[in-house]
Amino acid sequence: MIFQTGQLKTLSLSPSFWVVLSLFLVITPHFQRFPLWISLTIISLFLWHLVTVKHKKYLPNKFLLTIITISISAATIFYYGTILGKTAGTAFLSILLAVKLLESRSKRDYMLLTGISFFIITTNFLFSQTILTVIYMFITVIILVMSMISIDLDDLTITLKQKIKISATLVFQALPMMLILFVLFPRIPGPLWELPDDSKSARSGLSNTMSPGNISQLIQSNDVAFRVKFKDKLPPQNKLYWRAMVLWNFDGRNWEQGKQNFNATPTIEGSKQVVEYTITLEPHDKKYLFALDMPINSPENSEYNADFLLRSKNKIESLYQYSLSSVLNYRIQKKLSAWEINTGLKIPETGNPETIAMAKEWKIKFNSPQLVVNHALKYFNKNKFSYTLRPPLTPGYNSIDQFLFKTKKGFCEHYASSFAFLMRAAGIPSRIVIGYQGGELNPVNQYLTVKQSDAHAWTEVWLKNKGWVRIDPTASIAPERVEKNLNSALSQNDYRPFYMYLDNGPFKKLILYWDAIDNSWKQWVVGYNSKLQHEFLSSIFNTDMNLSDIAIAMVIMMFFSGMIITFYLLKSTPKISVDPLQKIYNQFCSKLSKNGLTRNVYEGPVDFSLRAARFFPEQKNSIELITKIYINLKFKSKHNNKLVEKMKQMVRTLKF
Amino acid sequence: MLSRLPVIPASMSSYIEKWADNRMPKPNYTTSIIRQRLYILPTKHGVTFFIILVLLLTGAINYENSLAFMLTFLFSSICFLGMIYSHQNINNLNFRSLATKPVFVGQSALFPVRIKTNKKQSHFSICLETEKSPVVRCNLLQQQDEINIIIPIEASKRGYFNLEKIKISTEFPLGLFHAWSWINLKSKCLVYPAPEKHPFQLSQHSNKSGIYSQQQPGYDDFSGIREYQKEDPPNHLAWKAIAKTGVLQTKQFHSNIDDEIYLNWFDLADTMPTERRLSIICYWVIEAEKQGIKYGLKLPALNIDPDSGLHHYQNCLKELALFGK
Repeated sequence: MIFQTGQLKTLSLSPSFWVVLSLFLVITPHFQRFPLWISLTIISLFLWHLVTVKHKKYLPNKFLLTIITISISAATIFYYGTILGKTAGTAFLSILLAVKLLESRSKRDYMLLTGISFFIITTNFLFSQTILTVIYMFITVIILVMSMISIDLDDLTITLKQKIKISATLVFQALPMMLILFVLFPRIPGPLWELPDDSKSARSGLSNTMSPGNISQLIQSNDVAFRVKFKDKLPPQNKLYWRAMVLWNFDGRNWEQGKQNFNATPTIEGSKQVVEYTITLEPHDKKYLFALDMPINSPENSEYNADFLLRSKNKIESLYQYSLSSVLNYRIQKKLSAWEINTGLKIPETGNPETIAMAKEWKIKFNSPQLVVNHALKYFNKNKFSYTLRPPLTPGYNSIDQFLFKTKKGFCEHYASSFAFLMRAAGIPSRIVIGYQGGELNPVNQYLTVKQSDAHAWTEVWLKNKGWVRIDPTASIAPERVEKNLNSALSQNDYRPFYMYLDNGPFKKLILYWDAIDNSWKQWVVGYNSKLQHEFLSSIFNTDMNLSDIAIAMVIMMFFSGMIITFYLLKSTPKISVDPLQKIYNQFCSKLSKNGLTRNVYEGPVDFSLRAARFFPEQKNSIELITKIYINLKFKSKHNNKLVEKMKQMVRTLKF
Repeated sequence: MLSRLPVIPASMSSYIEKWADNRMPKPNYTTSIIRQRLYILPTKHGVTFFIILVLLLTGAINYENSLAFMLTFLFSSICFLGMIYSHQNINNLNFRSLATKPVFVGQSALFPVRIKTNKKQSHFSICLETEKSPVVRCNLLQQQDEINIIIPIEASKRGYFNLEKIKISTEFPLGLFHAWSWINLKSKCLVYPAPEKHPFQLSQHSNKSGIYSQQQPGYDDFSGIREYQKEDPPNHLAWKAIAKTGVLQTKQFHSNIDDEIYLNWFDLADTMPTERRLSIICYWVIEAEKQGIKYGLKLPALNIDPDSGLHHYQNCLKELALFGK
C-alpha cells in the first residue's frame, strides 16, 4: 500500500480550496522561469492534494512521500547543479511547498504554507519590480488573507462576498502604515553578506562578445536598458553614443574584449562644453556601466580604464543610479602604447583574402589613413549595401568576404566588424565599441529612455594627431538609424519586431505616459535606497537626517498612526441608538420599579405584565395594554408612529 | 477541555486564570464582554509569522530590494490590524442565559445562551467552551442581531447543575492572535436521577388490585383507529389513514382512569442505597406516565397524591432530583 489507510481527518474543502488557489497564485509568476517539468509537477501535486481532501483518501504514506520528496529534489538539484542562486533556490522552495501541501491536513500545516508563500512572493521581486508585479502582489496578498480567514473558519460558512470584503478591507487599511514604514524604516546601504552567484539568470543585455547576429537578436527586446536625465539641453541625437565595451580581439568571426587595456593611461583633451547627466540603470547582472562618449569622470564604486570604460565594483543586480559628465568634442590617446598598436592591427592569419587584398590596394592608392577611412565609408555608401534586421547567414571564417562581396545585407555588427577589419588590413589601428546609440526623449517627463532595441556597434580608428576617432559605418548606409531611430532606418517591407508597429500607432501617447509612470515608479519606489531616503527626508525635515534620526521619526510616526488606527477601529462602532419604543418601555419599567415592582432580568414582558397586574390591580388595564402594544410593535407589526405615540401617552399618564 | 492559553506555559496560565477570576463580576443572567476583561495573546502561528516577518526583513535589507520591504511592511501592518480585528470580534458582545430543560443524569445538560451584539458589525468564529464542554463555534452576522447557542455539559449528579465559567474566544480573522474573555452566566439545569429499570412493586396503598384493569376509552394510550365521530378531538385525526382511505378517521386511545398507584420509597428494600432507590422510582414514574396510570409518590417526609399529566410528572421527577438537598 502506498496510501495511508483509514478515514482521514482533514479540514473542510473550503480552506483547502483557498490555500491551493493562493499558493498557485504565489508560484504562477515563477512558471516562466521554471522548466516545464517543474511547473507540471507542482500543479499536479496541487491537484492531488485537492483530491485527497475531497475524497478523504489517497493521502500518500510516509514511504511514498519520502520517495516523492527525494526524487523531485534530486531532479531539481541535478537540473540546476545547485540550490543556491535565485532561480534554483526559488524552484527548490516552490517544490518543497508543493510537497508539503500534499501531506497537509491540519490547520497548522496550512498556516505554515501560508507563511512560506510570503518568501516565494518575495523571491519574485528579485526578478521583476514593475508596477504590474506589485499590483499582482496585492491581489495575491488579498487571496492569501482570504485563505487565512478560511483556515480559521474551517467548517463555519460565510459568503464569498463577506470573505472578500474582510480581506480587502484589512489590506487597504494596512496601506497607510505600510507607507509610513516604507518611507521611514532606516535603510542600511549594502548587502549584509555576499550573495550567491546566479549562473542561470537570463536578463537581456549586451554580451561581452560580438558575433554576427547577436546584436540583431537583442533588438527584439523592447525592455528599457537605462534612462537618462540631462542636466541641461539634450545633445543632438547623432551624438548619443553610449559606450559600454571595447572589443580588441578578432578571430575571423567573433570579436572579444581580450585583455583589458590598462597599459595606457587615459588622456583626453576636450572642449570646455561638459554635458552633465544622471543615468538610472536597469539591473543587468554584469559590471559594466554606460557613459556618453567620452566620460571625463567616474562615479563612486567604479573604475575607469584607458578605453574610457566604466566598471562597477559590484554586479548591477538592482536599479542603479549614477551621475556623470562627458564631453562631446574630444581628442583621446594621441599616443598609442605598443600593446595598443599590436592588438589594434591584428587580423587572423587565414581567411577573408579578398577583403585583405582590397584593403592593401586602398592603402597603396591613398597613402593617407584619413583618405582610406573616407574611401571605405564611400565604398559602403555606393555599393548597394543595405541595412536589415534579418541578414543572410555568413557562416565560416570567411564571413567578411561573403558579406562585402556577396550578400551585402547586414546589421550594425556586420558593418562595424567589416569596417574594422578593412582598417586593420590597411594598417590603421582600429577597434570595435559596443553599447547603445540614440534613445527616445519622453516629452512627459523629459527623460531619455534607452532600450535594448537601441543596442549598437561602431568602430574607433586611431589617426595620427587625432587619436581615437569614432567612425560609425552604419551611418553611411542608413543615416536614419543614427539621426532618428532603428525603425525609420529599416525599409518599408523589411522584417521588424512587433513593438515597432506601435511606435507610430494611436497608442504612442499612452505608451509614453506609461513609460513616464514606470520611470517615476523606478526612481521613487524601486530605487528608494539609503541614499535617496537620506536626501528625501533631509529635504522634508530641512535638516541632515542620519539613520538614528530616521529611526526616531519612524517610531514616532508608527506610534501615532498605530494609535489613530486603533482608536478608529475601536470607536468605529456607532453609538447604541436605543429605539424609541424600547425607550418608552424602559420608562414604563422604571416607573413600576419606583413604585416597588422591579422587572427581573430573565422576565419576559408578558410575565412581567402578569406580575405587575397582580401587584397593581387598579392599573391592570393600562399595564396590559402598554405591554400588548410593546409586544406587537416589537415582534410583530411594522413601525407605527400613532401606536408609539399612544403608548408614550399611556406611560406618561400612568399613576399609582 | 478548557484549551490552554496560547504560547504561555501551563503553570503560568493557571495563575493568569486565577487573577482573571478575581476580576470577574458575580454570576448574573446577563453579562457582556468589556475591554477591561478581554485578553489577547499571539498564537503559535502568530509567533511563527513573526519569525517569518523578521526573516523577510533581513532578506529585504540584504538584497536592498524595495518591493521586498514593501511586502514585509504590508504584511506586518496586516498582522497588526488582524490583532485589533480579533479583539473587536468579541468585544462588547452581550450574553444572556435562557431557560434550560431538565435532563436525566448521564445526559448532556443543555445550556442555551443568547449572544447579542449592540453594534452594526458581524462577528465570526466565536468559540464558547467551559472546562467540561466541547468547543461550540458560531458566527453572528450583522443582519442577525442575536443568536442562540447551546452549551452541552454532561450531567453527572442529580439536583441543580450550575453553569460553569465560560471562556469566549476567537482567533478570527488571521489565526495569529487569540483573544478571549471569561464570563460567569447564572443558569441552572435541573438534573433528574438516572432511571434504573426495575419491576413495579404492587403497592399496598393502591386502591385497586393491579395496574392493568379494564380499559375505558380515553386519551392516553393509543389503541387503534376508527371512523370519525363528531365529539372526537380534532388533534386525534389519523392523517395517514385519511390520506389512504379518504374517510375521516380518528385514532383511538384508552385510558386507565381508575388505576391509581403509589410509587413508594418504602416498597424497596431498606438495604438499597438512596441513589439507587431514587433511580428506580424515577423509572417507575416514567413508566407510569407512559402507560397513563394515575400515580402518586411516597418518599420519606413527602407525599404526592396520585395524578397524571405533564405537570404532575415533572413535579414528581423534580422531587426525586432534589431529594435530600
